[in-house]
Amino acid sequence: MSRTSNAGRRRIPVVAILSAALLAFVAICAIAQEIIAPNALEQDIYLGVVGGGVEGHLFGTDQLGRDILQLSLAGARSALLGPLVVAAGSMLIGFFLGTYAGYRGGVVDMLAGRYADLLLALPAVLLAIVVAGLVGRGYWVTVAVLIVLFSPSDVRLVRGAVIEQAPRPYIESARVLGIRPSRIMFRHIAPNIVPIVVANLLLNVAFALVALSSLSYLGLGVPPGAPDWGRQLADGRQLLGDNPLAAVVPGVLIILTATAVNLLGDWLSDLLDRRVVAR
Amino acid sequence: MKRLVTGPVPAFVLRRAGATVLLLLALSLLVFALLYLAPGDVARNLLGTRNVTPEALAEIRARHHLDEPFLQQYWRWLTHAVTGDFGTSIRTGRPIGPLMLEKTGITAATAGLAFLLSVLAGIPAGVLTAVRRGRWLDRVLVTASVIGVSAPGFAVGLLLLYVFALGLGWFPIYGTGEGFFDALWHLALPAVALALGLGAFVVKLTRAAVIRELDQDYVTFARGRGLPEAATLRIVLRNAAIPIVTSLGLMVAYLFGGTVLIEVTFALPGLGSLMEESVLFKDIPVVQALTLAVALVVSVAAFLVDLSYLIIDPRVRARTVRR
Amino acid sequence: MTTSTATGRAPLLAVRDLRVTSAAGAVVAGLDLTVAPGETVAIVGESGSGKSMTVKALTGLLPEGVRATGRMNLPARDPGRADPERGPAGLEIDLAAPGGAWREVRGSRIALLLQDPFTSLSPVHRCGEQIGWAISGAGRGERVARLLAEVGLPAEVAGKYPFQLSGGMRQRVAIAAGLAADPDLLIADEPTTALDVTTQHEVLELIARLQRERDMGLILITHDLRLARSRADRVMVMYAGRLVEEGPTARVLDAPAHPYTARLAACDPPLTHRLAVLPTIPGSVPRPWSVGAECAFAERCAFVTDACRTAEPLLAEVADDHRAACLRAGTAVPPVPTASVSPTPSPGETRDGDAATASPLLLSVEGAAKRFPGSAVPALDGVDLEIAAGEAVAVVGESGSGKTTLARCVVGLEQADAGRITFHGSATGARRVQIVFQDPYSALNPGLTIGTSLAEALRAAGRPKSEVGELLELVGLPAAYARRRPRALSGGERQRVAIARALAPRADLLVCDESVSALDVSVQAQVLNLLADLRRRLGLTLLFITHDLAVARQIADRVYVMHHGRVVESGPVDSVLGAPAHEYTQRLLASIPAADQAD
Repeated sequence: MSRTSNAGRRRIPVVAILSAALLAFVAICAIAQEIIAPNALEQDIYLGVVGGGVEGHLFGTDQLGRDILQLSLAGARSALLGPLVVAAGSMLIGFFLGTYAGYRGGVVDMLAGRYADLLLALPAVLLAIVVAGLVGRGYWVTVAVLIVLFSPSDVRLVRGAVIEQAPRPYIESARVLGIRPSRIMFRHIAPNIVPIVVANLLLNVAFALVALSSLSYLGLGVPPGAPDWGRQLADGRQLLGDNPLAAVVPGVLIILTATAVNLLGDWLSDLLDRRVVAR
Repeated sequence: MKRLVTGPVPAFVLRRAGATVLLLLALSLLVFALLYLAPGDVARNLLGTRNVTPEALAEIRARHHLDEPFLQQYWRWLTHAVTGDFGTSIRTGRPIGPLMLEKTGITAATAGLAFLLSVLAGIPAGVLTAVRRGRWLDRVLVTASVIGVSAPGFAVGLLLLYVFALGLGWFPIYGTGEGFFDALWHLALPAVALALGLGAFVVKLTRAAVIRELDQDYVTFARGRGLPEAATLRIVLRNAAIPIVTSLGLMVAYLFGGTVLIEVTFALPGLGSLMEESVLFKDIPVVQALTLAVALVVSVAAFLVDLSYLIIDPRVRARTVRR
Repeated sequence: MTTSTATGRAPLLAVRDLRVTSAAGAVVAGLDLTVAPGETVAIVGESGSGKSMTVKALTGLLPEGVRATGRMNLPARDPGRADPERGPAGLEIDLAAPGGAWREVRGSRIALLLQDPFTSLSPVHRCGEQIGWAISGAGRGERVARLLAEVGLPAEVAGKYPFQLSGGMRQRVAIAAGLAADPDLLIADEPTTALDVTTQHEVLELIARLQRERDMGLILITHDLRLARSRADRVMVMYAGRLVEEGPTARVLDAPAHPYTARLAACDPPLTHRLAVLPTIPGSVPRPWSVGAECAFAERCAFVTDACRTAEPLLAEVADDHRAACLRAGTAVPPVPTASVSPTPSPGETRDGDAATASPLLLSVEGAAKRFPGSAVPALDGVDLEIAAGEAVAVVGESGSGKTTLARCVVGLEQADAGRITFHGSATGARRVQIVFQDPYSALNPGLTIGTSLAEALRAAGRPKSEVGELLELVGLPAAYARRRPRALSGGERQRVAIARALAPRADLLVCDESVSALDVSVQAQVLNLLADLRRRLGLTLLFITHDLAVARQIADRVYVMHHGRVVESGPVDSVLGAPAHEYTQRLLASIPAADQAD
């Protein structure tokens, strides 16, 4: 009825600011790992595992005598880089395949649909465990596997959004005007589904972070000894009695980072939704 | 109504069942192909640490039919699998069927408990947040559900283990317990760890579904002719049940992804642990059997959700009858 | 039923100083309202007038973030009423107070009927159940059956789901549900706008009968002056959140005291004859909260004086029971609207009948048939249609008649299953035919500026993008609009841009698919005038799809009437609408609310 003109001019909520701050910190750790955590991999076998505060180790050490604080800060890189690549890669596939399948239909649509049916009938994490376990144990192999496993839901999402746009008058008018299908798809439809794509991209980053750290927790993904929160949790599981912080610190970091990404994604999708409505 | 019992509904059920079987066939082919194509020589794996001589390799290839063409191998595997014969585990040397069967109880109990917990807590919480949309309770619960969705089960599991088992000593650290109540006590933490993410997911979905229904005209109309809020909410919930039940079907898949990690964390000897060990050991027959079993359970859950539409959505029922 | 039966009876509802405020500002800026038993009050206004917010405030159903103030008095029922044991106590409600008191108002005192019967019933509950929700105690089944009989539905409808019923039947179920708690007052918010003309008529008759039998008060919210004229005892005209005129229907609509009422009535296209130029109101309705201390209509008023711009005029008595908020009421009002423009023959009418032979045939459709997969009935069932160059042809029909499918087949958005669609001109591709759709809000890509959208259309047609300004001027918009985005434009302006875009390739034929149906009546007249003007200037050929016979009357030379995928009648617009031969056309015409009695 009355479209309010001040929609979207709201204050940025505190949770969004906190989330962005946390993610900025994690990103700085990931980029400047060598400066912030130069001694992350330095072992001290003689020291072994000690609790928090011992010998200048704020959060103690693990069984190899590595400093938990430094190791955790260094883990930011694999926690951020892989999930970003997974989310971007799968959304790239989803965006192009989904747009094409949704707008043109036909064989591509049919095949994309069946492919999605097949992969979505199995839990993605389980399939990732199986494939990563059997194909190989490299971090980037795991990332590639996750891209493949994540893409069907992105294809579906984009396809659905495109199918919703396609019968709108502005698209049909463009068709009647004789504008090329590729131009209609990528100049007219694509910009109008960006809100959905962006919001889902962030949700995928969080989901990929959980999936990747799950895999490294099981000993798949990152090689042994590399700084990685999932890996640290797996090691820390044995040390709950000696230095619980070895598990607690990376555990809290995973939860906080994934939560921050999700909160930011929710806020962004609300914001973009309101902007679309305000049109 | 009478026609429902005889004609169209069994046809609908059969058609959906047929589609499920087709999907399972395709999945089984996919699973078999994936493992067939996996790098590494299966025969070498089968030999394990024994002497690898060309004769031994040839012999084991013949014994396991590894020299046959792919489709023939697949067919042999499938026809045996249907009868419950999944072959023998390379790692343990035991037949896979019984091996899986004895581990099913723990997994089913943990997953079932988690499912129950998340539904019983998640749906009321979701409805509450939707009804109190925008108030502080809504904000708190929504933020909590975002944390729940984001937190991986194994991380939560370890934290729970540390706080409640190691720190406070309220729950046992490892083991499965003897007898019903002891088992329940042992499975409580794993189930809670699994249920946290699931429950948060249920809260989000329920909230979205109820809010969508609350914004419908029929709610305004119901209020506009004097129905009390409780009655209006009942109507809304009946309508919101359709998307919620759909999401419960999806949750079954989610549950099986999570259970591997939870069982490993809590050292529960269930199917999840079996999966982890088999993957790491490249015990391919077991991995195949487990993957197929999960696909079966997930597909059956989806099938049941489809059938439930016949009960909860009269539009689906009518379409079925009209065909 | 035109004259008030209610004068002299004590009101059953009296509202004083109702104000509704949203986050943006005032949406309804103070209004008093009374309704007597058996009386029908129509609240008339265009979109943004605040009429819907008014009734939502009266039932306590305002959306989140919107607040009302004012007092509502529901006096004790008069003792003569049938149901003495129900609380006869009077109620005085503070509209600003939250919750609580509405329990006693909604249902038994006031019931609200909504516009869309497709969404106002729960899709997963049986109709009988839904009617019964508002009935407490024993004998519910019987009461439901009685209510169904009262609204003219068979008892077995109780066991059906809404999706198994037609739109008209659903609205009847909704009415039965609304009446279940025996309200004294029914508020119907555009109760027939979502229905077909023939169904509209039946539903309105039903409401009128129920009102008589139950001696109910009725508030009818509508944008349709004709409907108000034929159904209401009193009319209240709202503009930009303000009540600008009220009084007995005949007086307000025949001798309007407020210039807005007069202009609005004039904008409504007549069904009986064509006007050379439809009267319009320049500009568009301002946002209620953006109006300062001035007359809200001053910006668009032909009689505006300095005094109008210094203070908001108050409602003042112009005649017995007739009030208007205009400083110059009585002096400023133009003559009776329908007489202001004399009927003139249109350019097409001189060629009536022999149009097809006079100028070359541009489009012929022969035996077009189309059935959508999964649908039991065909959308098109052997349609023949011809359009000569320069002609304007209307295709009229109700929803499901196939008229839109026909349009879509002509422009190539759908393929007919059988039959031939032939263009006889030399043009190919986009130069053959262009289309303008109904919904102005999704007509333009929200992400592109107007200029970019038009430039793209020009480029696709091989014309330079420097013509964007020309195109905009052609449809009566300033060239500077090229830099704007769609969201900065009103509905009418967006529809103008959509027309400009369709004109870019200079196509032989322009198809308008309900292109003015979503617009307010004053804006609709502007766009119809624009189309007529473009025909004259560019020699445009028009295929106009519409459900509105009056619109067809204004725009077309010839008309095709469609029903269930077939053309049931066709011919010059005068003879088809003036002396319909086919039973269906006659029914369509008879269903339209008694048009301007002045004719």
